[in-house]
Amino acid sequence: MSVMTPIFEGLWDHYIFWSVIVGAIAFGWLYHHSFWFTSKDGKKIPNVDEIEVGVFPKHNDDMRLEVAWTILPFLLIVWLTYYSWEPLDAMWTSADGGVHGYECEEGQVSNNVMDSNGIITSDCYHVIEITGQQWFWNFDCLELNDSLCDTGTETMEVYGSVPVLSLKKGETYLAIMESVDVTHAPWFQHLGTKEDVLPGQQTTLWLPISESMTEESMVLCAEYCGDAHSIMAAKLVAHN
Amino acid sequence: MVGKRSKGAIVALVVIAAMLALPSAQSLPVGISGVQESGCNCHGAVPSDSVVASIDGLPESYNYSEAYELTVSFQGGPSQEGNVNQGGFHLWASEGALSVNDATSQLYNQNEVGHTDAGNDQLSWTVTWTAPATDKNVDFVLHVNSVNGNADGAGGGTSGDMWSKVTISLGGPIEVLEAADPFVVLGVLIIVSASLLAITLAYVFYRKDPDAFDWDHFAPWLADWMTSTDHKKIGTLYFVAGLFFLGVGGIMAMIIRIQLSVPGNDFLTQEQYNQFFTLHGTTMIFLAAMPMINGFANWMIPLQLGAADLALPRINAMSFWLQPFAALLIFTGVFSGHGADTGWTGYAPYVVSEGAHYGTTMWAAGQIMLVASSTLTGINFLTTMAVMRAPGMGWMQMPLFSWSILVANVMLFLSIPAFGVGLIQVYLDRVVGTAFYDIAAGGDPLLWSHLFWYFGHPEVYVVVVPSFGIISEVIATSSRRSIFGYRSMVYAMAGIGIVAFIVYGHHMFTSGMSPTLRFVTMLTTMLVAVPTGIKVFNWLMTMHGGSLVYRTHTLWALGFLVTFTLGGISGMFFPSIAMDTHLHESYFVVAHFHYVLVGGTVFGFFAGIYYWWPKATGKMLSEKLGVLHFLTAFVSYNALFWPMHRLGVWGMTRRHHTYFVTTEEALGSLPMEAAGWNMFITVSAFLFFFSNFILVFNMIVSSIRGEDAPDDPWGGWSFEWMTSSPPPAHTLYKLNDGSWGLPTLKDANEHIANEPGWLSSWFQRLLVTDEDTEEESH
Repeated sequence: MSVMTPIFEGLWDHYIFWSVIVGAIAFGWLYHHSFWFTSKDGKKIPNVDEIEVGVFPKHNDDMRLEVAWTILPFLLIVWLTYYSWEPLDAMWTSADGGVHGYECEEGQVSNNVMDSNGIITSDCYHVIEITGQQWFWNFDCLELNDSLCDTGTETMEVYGSVPVLSLKKGETYLAIMESVDVTHAPWFQHLGTKEDVLPGQQTTLWLPISESMTEESMVLCAEYCGDAHSIMAAKLVAHN
Repeated sequence: MVGKRSKGAIVALVVIAAMLALPSAQSLPVGISGVQESGCNCHGAVPSDSVVASIDGLPESYNYSEAYELTVSFQGGPSQEGNVNQGGFHLWASEGALSVNDATSQLYNQNEVGHTDAGNDQLSWTVTWTAPATDKNVDFVLHVNSVNGNADGAGGGTSGDMWSKVTISLGGPIEVLEAADPFVVLGVLIIVSASLLAITLAYVFYRKDPDAFDWDHFAPWLADWMTSTDHKKIGTLYFVAGLFFLGVGGIMAMIIRIQLSVPGNDFLTQEQYNQFFTLHGTTMIFLAAMPMINGFANWMIPLQLGAADLALPRINAMSFWLQPFAALLIFTGVFSGHGADTGWTGYAPYVVSEGAHYGTTMWAAGQIMLVASSTLTGINFLTTMAVMRAPGMGWMQMPLFSWSILVANVMLFLSIPAFGVGLIQVYLDRVVGTAFYDIAAGGDPLLWSHLFWYFGHPEVYVVVVPSFGIISEVIATSSRRSIFGYRSMVYAMAGIGIVAFIVYGHHMFTSGMSPTLRFVTMLTTMLVAVPTGIKVFNWLMTMHGGSLVYRTHTLWALGFLVTFTLGGISGMFFPSIAMDTHLHESYFVVAHFHYVLVGGTVFGFFAGIYYWWPKATGKMLSEKLGVLHFLTAFVSYNALFWPMHRLGVWGMTRRHHTYFVTTEEALGSLPMEAAGWNMFITVSAFLFFFSNFILVFNMIVSSIRGEDAPDDPWGGWSFEWMTSSPPPAHTLYKLNDGSWGLPTLKDANEHIANEPGWLSSWFQRLLVTDEDTEEESH
């Protein structure tokens, strides 16, 4: 069971790659210096820069090096920012004419496809409603028929009775969300996404259900909302 | 045509039937899992005393595996004969198995039964409970609804309905001992720690003069500590308070880890867990880290600047004495079992909602006092640094620890008013009924998030930057070198101080922020890596060509470099928004901030304690115990927090009192291995917790029979090494001519310091020199 979405996995691998490089430089340097430039036992401890109490020590700097490790990390973060930019278009695409097109007419289907980066594009999208309340989720399929979107409740072994949202693979949904009391946030674990639901204010969340989506996954509340926060769970079913 | 119309009629009938059934449907399982401990989600917002629920048929104590027929019923409330619906119930039994007798009730699982559609127009129901086969204490929680039957009215069906709850406990044939309430455990541990502290104090006093161990001598000694305005004494008080609360926060962390050691654990209830993590966060940041920073700063700022005391000694005493009382307020709720349960972030509108515990009000009040305390401290340190530097010490000759305190206090000074304002709003909302965060009255749920994180993000830098200062001192002194790139260190620290204010949006990436703003914040957040990178590389370069002397504080500084770099790298994953939407509020976040706040801040503190302890007490700490402390703590610390990264990616959520793993039979939110890793983390957490007692032991041993410390045991250059160890009661320094007085700083770069830098030489080209003007006037 992997909870990593292809978008997440791509970014993750790239970041891990750079982390390993930065880590190797920093730790290689650290280990080398902490074993190489040491005082030997039994010898008088040298005073390399003639440090003396009450005297500001002589400067020990090198403009070229300091500029180098200002510029290089800066270039790296510019690259990482640029690299992280790509999936954002798909995540915050506009609800009209973005990568998910316009809202589906009755009977129309999204036919979403995932490219090699994990970015999903669709012909059109369906609208559903999610309402958070202490401490349960309310899903509303609006006008969508049962094959596109279905809701219900199920008694789960560990969470007890939870609401179930059943969505169709290959379809893309736009969830319009609101809360009736305090702030909550549904974490669609296998979609790698979450967004706060706020009282008195609407937020939206794209739920593109690809063909490779896990059949059953959990939706947890990620924004602390009081006593039963940890079991404010729901189940997401991706059906064919 | 007719067919279609009849279809429509059927749909309409179904809709009407559904509307009639709605109230009962709503009191069905939706949210029922929250019912046992908390309120009922069924009907009406508040419980009503006029509804009386009862369970009949329960024995005094049960027989093993016997089946009992229970009658659950209620009286009172709006329910009346002839209502469409009269009421409903939900019964939960902690042990044994429930089953239904007829169609009026239904079974959710063996611990929960409720009424059915058919059973929602009656006042009593009969169910069967089979007692467990072993000796258990059983709790029953019954919720009932009294319904006025306006289901088809305009009120939406639930208006005017009332609910009530009754809890019954039942013992087995043999009375079993109740497990101790975790609050009692916490309370006992705090009292034990406080008593140990008191005994230590008494012992310290006894050691001073065994012959004068009586009240007549003790009272003035105590009064002196309580009324002192000496920066060294107040620094020590800050330290004692900080270490005490580090212990208290640690105990809470251990209780949290016991709860999380296995999936689905019930060592803590949800309510208790929520209070524990809230107080753990608040305690560690505001009552442990901040006082310890102030402890270091109080001791070392005047000493490093060559001053006799802080600029405003009485204000200094006041800012300390605000803290114990603030701490009492913050903890007040716990003593009644209703401690603050909002998380240290205290998000609105939950923090002002009725659901938040009473203790939250006191928690806000206590933090308002801490805001006052921090503001006063900030004024004090900034004033001291501005006006009391020794002659010859320009801004760019201040020791780096002093610079770090300067940057931290400027940040604190600019950010804490926002927090203060937010807290006062919350306090007023909770106490006098203002509506800053009342959504129904037009309040804004995001206002608090903005105010809090505008303060909160600089705040985490406020607690880590002083550690940068300590590490700069320790690495340079231990390498026997002057710090590499002193000026770029100062600029980098100032850079962190500036960037701190433009990145806080990354805490709100999933709060419905505008995509453009999210992108901008992503960029600025990444920028933090630049100044911190400069600092890390400068530290590494300081070691180059040096002669590293291995002492305990050196080990802690090297350990800091490892853990802080790891924490910094994991921090780079959050600004990448497509990853952040998954990682936000997960254990990856928990791992990251513990890496920077424990591996960064606390490891820096440990380095500082080992570095300055001889100066402050005049006694050396044991190196053997110090190395043992470092090795055990460093290993267990990494074992404790490293696996949390993986748990976060798997989907373990912060602030959840428990988690469930997916097994072959049941779907959970985490893979199976997560259970094993959590147990591993808990064991490591205990090792880490106990390894720090080596430090406490070391301190005690050192105070009793430590070697006397020389004035400059490590060979540092700043003024604190120029005075005796410990410094005289009225801080003075040993001057070159052998007398005591206030020092003057010399500069090994005198010839360089007098030459203009590139910027001023560039400016000079633009200026008309004095000589030119003189010639013209002639």
